Amino acid sequence: MFPKLDPLLHSELRLAVMSILAGVDSAEFSYIKKQTGATSGNLSVQLDKLSAAGYISVEKGFKGKVPCTTCKITPTGLTAFENYVNSLKEYLI
Amino acid sequence: MENNIENKEMTAQQSLGIITEMINNSRRTILQNSAKHFLLWGILLTVTSLVIYELWHVTGSPIWNCAWFVMPALGFPIVRILDGKHSDVPQNEINKQLGLIWLTYCIFAVIISVIAMLAVPMNISLVIAVLLGFAECISGFLLKNWTITIGGLILGIGGAVATSLIYNEAQLLIFTLGGIILVVTGLIIKFQYK
Repeated sequence: MFPKLDPLLHSELRLAVMSILAGVDSAEFSYIKKQTGATSGNLSVQLDKLSAAGYISVEKGFKGKVPCTTCKITPTGLTAFENYVNSLKEYLI
Repeated sequence: MENNIENKEMTAQQSLGIITEMINNSRRTILQNSAKHFLLWGILLTVTSLVIYELWHVTGSPIWNCAWFVMPALGFPIVRILDGKHSDVPQNEINKQLGLIWLTYCIFAVIISVIAMLAVPMNISLVIAVLLGFAECISGFLLKNWTITIGGLILGIGGAVATSLIYNEAQLLIFTLGGIILVVTGLIIKFQYK
């Protein structure tokens, strides 16, 4: 019996965001957008979903005079991501 | 995979592909950003050591060693400007540790130089050469690159021996070599993570 994959992570853009955030302290919206090639609107929606699930924290602030949104993976998000990767392994073995 | 990700469902294989690609791309971008720091400090070290060497050689006065303090005074503002251009590039464990290693090197080098100049005379070139080689060597281990590690060993151990055998302005040429090794390190990182 295969384990059920976390539906929140089993989506290309959300998984890409989590993969980026798992390897860094925190990342700005512009960096995630560049790395994923997603549109601002779509990325915002997906970040909101991850944030609502408690997988990431989103901080809105300013860098000088420019608005800046910073995302950071939470311990809950990291655990969910690890579980997701472990479940994937079982599918592939 | 195209660099344009939608929020659609995928197979387990595709999921793993996305994870791998995103982690690798992000690591590449972050380390590419670190390469320019090695290039900057390498160029500064090479130029500064050659200028001081020439001034000392021509005037016969070691007072020109004070010009070493121009290097951090010039380097850190340039780092700020360079980082400003890529201000959205985040920090990962590797570049954070690289930053700490070289910051520690810088603190040691400046404090020991001041002590040597003002209080306790010592073979400062030997100490700085060992510290420089040590920092370079650990950077190589962190980046999992043997060329950088060996470059650090040569610089540290070779520099210690050389600074004990040669004197006065000739010792400065060890730092010119150090600067070149830092530039090569920057180029290696740039190509390795292209």
